[in-house]
Amino acid sequence: MSAMRVDAKVVMLGKESVGKTSLVERYVHHRFLVGPYQNTIGAAFVAKPIQVGEKVITLGIWDTAGSERYEAMSRIYYRGARAAIVCYDLTDGSSFQRARFWVKELQNCEEHCKIYLCGSKSDLISQDRSLRQIDYHDAQDFADEIGAQHFETSSKTGTNVDELFQKVAEDYNSNAFQEMKPEETSVDLSQKKDSYFYSCCHNN
Amino acid sequence: MEGDSQRASASWENGTLAPGEHLRSDRADSPLPGLVEGTEPGAGQKSAMFVHAQSFEDLTAEAEEEVRREAEINKSGDGEEELKVLVGEKEQHSSDMTSESRTKEEDVTSEAWRSHRKHVFVLSDAGKPIYTRYGTEEALSSTMGVMMALVSVVEAEKNIIRSIQADGCKVVFLTKSPLVLVGVSRTCQSDKELLRELHYIYYQIVSLLTLTQLNNIFKNKQNYDLRRLLAGSEYLTDNLLTRLERDPGLLLSAVTCLPLASSTRDTVSSSLQAAKSKNLVFSILLAGDRLVTLLRKKDQFLHHIDLHLVFNLVGSSSSFREGEGWTPICLPKFNTAGFFHAHISYLEPASELCLILVSTDREDFFNMSDCKKRFMERLSKRSAYPALKEALKSPTYSVEQVGIPELRHFLYKSKSSGLYTSPEFPDVYKSDCEQERLMGLYQDLHSSLHHPTRPLRYVYRCGDTENLLAWVTSGFELYLCFSPLGTKALAVAAVTKLLKWIRKEEDRLFILSPLTY
Repeated sequence: MSAMRVDAKVVMLGKESVGKTSLVERYVHHRFLVGPYQNTIGAAFVAKPIQVGEKVITLGIWDTAGSERYEAMSRIYYRGARAAIVCYDLTDGSSFQRARFWVKELQNCEEHCKIYLCGSKSDLISQDRSLRQIDYHDAQDFADEIGAQHFETSSKTGTNVDELFQKVAEDYNSNAFQEMKPEETSVDLSQKKDSYFYSCCHNN
Repeated sequence: MEGDSQRASASWENGTLAPGEHLRSDRADSPLPGLVEGTEPGAGQKSAMFVHAQSFEDLTAEAEEEVRREAEINKSGDGEEELKVLVGEKEQHSSDMTSESRTKEEDVTSEAWRSHRKHVFVLSDAGKPIYTRYGTEEALSSTMGVMMALVSVVEAEKNIIRSIQADGCKVVFLTKSPLVLVGVSRTCQSDKELLRELHYIYYQIVSLLTLTQLNNIFKNKQNYDLRRLLAGSEYLTDNLLTRLERDPGLLLSAVTCLPLASSTRDTVSSSLQAAKSKNLVFSILLAGDRLVTLLRKKDQFLHHIDLHLVFNLVGSSSSFREGEGWTPICLPKFNTAGFFHAHISYLEPASELCLILVSTDREDFFNMSDCKKRFMERLSKRSAYPALKEALKSPTYSVEQVGIPELRHFLYKSKSSGLYTSPEFPDVYKSDCEQERLMGLYQDLHSSLHHPTRPLRYVYRCGDTENLLAWVTSGFELYLCFSPLGTKALAVAAVTKLLKWIRKEEDRLFILSPLTY
């Protein structure tokens, strides 16, 4: 792995098995893995460069485990995140409740983090409308209320996936020059030493 | 003989692992079985890598102490009948409520479910189901209730239930408050072996949650449903159970290495040594299920059980193949109270080589990522990477290389290093079923060598399909499998020849000079 500068930290949140890993997998590797469900252990990190206009922005994507077991750890993943993709499963009502939990958590702890609400597995709905458990307009209302963007995606077909991440990158780009607290700037892999400036409040 | 084995285990009880310096001085070229620990083929030259390198005893010692304190309960005769009645009755009950709800899962009332060779159940102190190997926990809640009742009834008399011998079936209990583990086996493994396997399952659960968290949960809410926290981890336990049946490493309490020229291994080790970081405690490089090298902080030792749990975690999940994983992990033999944080990544997406960096700091991800980068750079600069990749093409060796005609397969464990070596299975044992059968035979021999009250030093066994020899000394443990046409004299002569061969190859087969940061 070569030294890579990460511009924006993006965190994936949501109930287990809603398809966070599949979403990342589709976006980063352009594929959909069929097979027995495997839950994520802890979290996985992947850096992905994305073209926004003239610029290339590197998203550092944290794919977190949905299992309750890792809930206590989640803070380290969303701290300092510029964007959070909060996922719910369109065919699972309880996953939307969980999404509300994450939104609240982010609003309380990470006010500078932009929220993207993402309903997953839309291919299932287009096959059989009766499977839909979360009404589009209800989700949209909720998104408006919290000032979030709202997407319905399918990692299987790829519908809306690139659009979602493109939007994340564009929003970052247009906000990048707005003032941010220094410790919330992006993590720089190659120049860690320079961060001693404000390292007194971190333990590194 | 009795006295000898007592002395051998006693000398490890103080918990230090490095054999005394005086033992290392002479490494004979043609080792004889009289070797003491620290000079046997495969013994580390500087210091060992693992805690309690021969800790089969260590694993079960705790449980045995309990037995010494409490009188053992022999539940035969009446007790057996009682259980059958209880279980029979309960299973009728459960059939009512489960028949309609589960279609995918196995029917726990079926004959197929009952005839599995080994069942494992985990329940809480309050009798709530936590894990079952076959079927669903819901369907077994009443059966587990019976198990809990058996534990409680005996506890009420200030005693501990250890096992029940029933017709062709053995039930072993392990109470590790707040958990109770129950194994039901139709194999001929001893209680001690089954208990060892239950301990592994227990540690697997602790490694996900820490014992502190486990205790807190049940202190606050006695009838908590632990499956909520363990959700999604069942496959780790399933895989661990499969490993216990197939992997000689778990049987021998040892780890095997990727055969590698010692110069390459040293380069890999020193590259890893250079990529250190303040909070980095262990760096482990794996090739599949084989150890390439292991670096540790000075004075910090990894226990082979913890290492097997790491192997299981990495081997069970394909999600580390892409990107970099970062996960909390408790290493229960190191410390049951807290989490380490492991950076897990493959050197290349399609490679077998997986690097695990264990840190004490949960904020350390980018430091660990940087360590990996530095390791890779150094590895390429010193051109050890191609040599390492070349070695991956032959991760094992054939038994013919040893040059003993009747020898089919063997397991050799160096006790002081905690490492073992074994050739690939020959064609006769290629199928899963034959492999498991051979492993079963080794397990039997292992049971005899480690019998709690009457341990044996040598076992020679003739069978229709193979002849087996097992031998344990203070330095090594050896299991040999010969064709059924071999003779005992030939088998005994083979030991010396094999030990000589291993001595000759030890540079390649073992990690002789483990490094620390």
